[in-house]
Amino acid sequence: MSDPISRREFLKITGLGTGVAAVLTGCGPASRYVKRQPYSDMPEYTMTGKSTYFATTCGECSAGCGLIVRTMEGRAHKVEGNPQHPVNHGGTCSRGQATLQGLYNPDRIKAPGKRASRASTEFSPLEWEAAIGLVKDALQNTQSNEIAFLMGLFPDHLYDLVQLISNGLGGANVLRYGTLGEFEARVTLIEASKNLLGVAKIPYFDLANTDVVFSFGANFVETWLSPVAYADSYGVMRQGHTGRRGYFVQFEERMSQTAASGDEWFPINPGSAALLAQGLGFLVAELKTGTVPIAYANVDISQVAKESGVSEHDLRRLAAIFVDVPRQVAIPGGVPLGQTNGLAAAESILALNMLVENLGKEGGLFLMPDSPLNPNQNNTPSATAEISNLIDKMNNGQIKVLFVHGVNPIYDLPKALGFDQALQKVPLLISFASFPDETAMQADVVLPDHTPLESWGYQKIITGSDRTTISGLQPAVVPFYNTRSTADVLLAAVQSIGGNLAIGVNFTDEVDFLQKSVIGLGDQGGFFSAPTQESFWLLWQQYGGWWKSKPDLQSPQIVNSLDQPIHLENARFSGNENEFGLSLLPFPSPNLGDGSAANRPVLQEVPDPSTTVMWNTWVEINPLTAQQLGVKSDDVVKITSPVGEVEAVVYEFPAIHPKVVAIPLGQGHTAFGRFAQGRGIMALDLLDKQQNESGNLAFMATRVKITPTGKTRRLARYESREGVYGPSSPLERE
Amino acid sequence: MPDLKIWFKRPRIYWIIATGVLVVFLVAGIWGLIAVQAAPPQPFPYTHAPHIKIGISCIFCHPGAVRGQSAGLPTKAKCDGCHNNIKADTPLLKEWKQYSDTHQSIEWVPVALLPDFVYFSHQPHLNEHLDCINCHGDLSQMTTAKPQGYWTMGWCLDCHQKMAPEKFVKLSDCATCHQ
Repeated sequence: MSDPISRREFLKITGLGTGVAAVLTGCGPASRYVKRQPYSDMPEYTMTGKSTYFATTCGECSAGCGLIVRTMEGRAHKVEGNPQHPVNHGGTCSRGQATLQGLYNPDRIKAPGKRASRASTEFSPLEWEAAIGLVKDALQNTQSNEIAFLMGLFPDHLYDLVQLISNGLGGANVLRYGTLGEFEARVTLIEASKNLLGVAKIPYFDLANTDVVFSFGANFVETWLSPVAYADSYGVMRQGHTGRRGYFVQFEERMSQTAASGDEWFPINPGSAALLAQGLGFLVAELKTGTVPIAYANVDISQVAKESGVSEHDLRRLAAIFVDVPRQVAIPGGVPLGQTNGLAAAESILALNMLVENLGKEGGLFLMPDSPLNPNQNNTPSATAEISNLIDKMNNGQIKVLFVHGVNPIYDLPKALGFDQALQKVPLLISFASFPDETAMQADVVLPDHTPLESWGYQKIITGSDRTTISGLQPAVVPFYNTRSTADVLLAAVQSIGGNLAIGVNFTDEVDFLQKSVIGLGDQGGFFSAPTQESFWLLWQQYGGWWKSKPDLQSPQIVNSLDQPIHLENARFSGNENEFGLSLLPFPSPNLGDGSAANRPVLQEVPDPSTTVMWNTWVEINPLTAQQLGVKSDDVVKITSPVGEVEAVVYEFPAIHPKVVAIPLGQGHTAFGRFAQGRGIMALDLLDKQQNESGNLAFMATRVKITPTGKTRRLARYESREGVYGPSSPLERE
Repeated sequence: MPDLKIWFKRPRIYWIIATGVLVVFLVAGIWGLIAVQAAPPQPFPYTHAPHIKIGISCIFCHPGAVRGQSAGLPTKAKCDGCHNNIKADTPLLKEWKQYSDTHQSIEWVPVALLPDFVYFSHQPHLNEHLDCINCHGDLSQMTTAKPQGYWTMGWCLDCHQKMAPEKFVKLSDCATCHQ
């Protein structure tokens, strides 16, 4: 066949065609395809293309890190740490970074509403005026001792205001509770500090300047007390001093992220931390002075070695390491305090500091000064014992109105405490939640508060800062929805009640209360000076709070000379050892915390630092134990405790004591929006309601047994995304 | 099948194709020029003229020009500032009121657009006391804004050249506008 068009000619014709087409389309102005849509309600101060920055305080946990929020055209775009802030020095944790996903969360409660009946899905909208009327009626027509406010761990302006209102009413029940507070056993730590140092405060550990750290289960790079502050100090200890590098030893049943960054890690036997601290104290005293104080006198080192699992040789070596340096500190973390003998553990560990005389010395232990705002206010949160007490009152019908803010008790409290059932006896439950969490889904009335980036406020810093600090909150954006600040709701209700109550709580709104509270700080020697009250308020907002220009930590006075034996009982466990052979260690997830961050998809997707698991709950089992049980990674097992049972997926974790299984908190929500709901399990469902001497939850005191179910479910891990995308996932990398 | 090679190779066909291509290019070019110079259709016939006539400064609605790169477009809230007090009794105002009541923003089509490779900021030009009218034309005679035919590099440089010599050093540097 003759070729009608040669190859060359064909190319010429096609080229020509393409050229003409390109010219014809290209000549049209591309700009005409662009649309410019101005914001309908953009704040006046903003300028297109330029960012406006606001200094505020993080509301994700109670540490109170300073934030700088970058906003553009009235929308928050990015959150970073405030470099001047004395808590976090410019750092944030993953939860701080994810705070925007709270603000923009699609599942927020957008307007106030009322439920037809308890836990009903029939939710009718409510006008704010009517809502305030309801709060007013509740406050006015109920005996003050029949009203309870259950609030989060934050020592903030709302807590101070509620205290004031409670006093005006004649003494309502005001409780502050947080799961993280229980897992740090704050009340125990504060009581130990009171018994040994005479001051009921959380001590400040000068990690940055020390040479040797003995940490007993303190997960300070994850969630403990003020993780950004302590992680920062830890960095300084390791790399911030020329010629010396701090040495870090962690005693903990499981290798947490913090333990993983240490020089030595000892997987001690469950319940043995108090005894171990006493053993170390005995040896340290012997090395330091040659005489052992009575507090440690009855210690038998070989028994300590046997019970704790740390060899006698290691004990003597560690004691020598602790004594041989000029600066050292021993930190009581949450895990040893979450035993039934937690107070004795806390005292034994704190007393190690007294033995080496590091109180008030560089690299040692300090106390933060009293807060200049309401210095007499009790900043100790409520322990599980107090919550138990409240639950008893609820069961007896002594609580008629329960206000809940900043906490999600139905999810947060162990099932064994029976909060769910007790709630049925409370006629009116009012929730101020921003998200449809488990408690808000039950509440008769939901009056949504703003999220922290839309809120005013202050937060008293009670841990992690080396100076007196009051951190300030201000709205970085105008509230997106028909939400209202809880302080404003309460103040409006109080004003409409009138009488002596309104005279005692005489503030027009939240900002008025804040201004009247903080403006007095102007003449207390902060790092900025303001000639007038107005300028103080402006600078307060500009810097994101007020703090001293220099560290003002106090040196504790020793009130206990360790001449009494520390009363140490053996740790008790729920469940006998023959039937329930493994100790359960629930721990706050480094990303999801206590579960209040589970509705942030970015945090669900961030792999856990130790296991790389995401979007689910796993149970960490030592491979030796797993072999004995006949299970392997990705097998679904049933975990049974004396009070409950759950199913979770096994992750074989070599860095855990063979007698311990660990389960992270954070998942297992039955509500709380699309990202959190129906995912994983809640480890606290397994816990018995045992408490330690101070009333904190003894979360380490429950034994469990594990039985295979025969089912398998691949965990969603960084290396294996099958658990998220299903077995036929093209993203599967293995 | 006809022998394509034969008719395609004829000189007459060659000429016809060449002329055809030339015409296409010419028409496309002219159409392009007209299209970029014409005021684009806007979703709402906002009228600049009456607003300017009652003495509202350009900067009141486009304050970004004084402070930065982009002049910006006014928000609905800004319009509300005055129009909440003005009765919406004309069809135009009624149409606008619908946007306002539904918090819907108007999707404007940009008029004064420079190519992506040109860096331009309003601020320095206003600092040198240029008036909006110098570049954007007399908006007191316009409804929606119209493109001005002279936005070319030569026109920019004409003006830059008239500046003091020490300033012209920077103002004639390519990297000033083509960063």
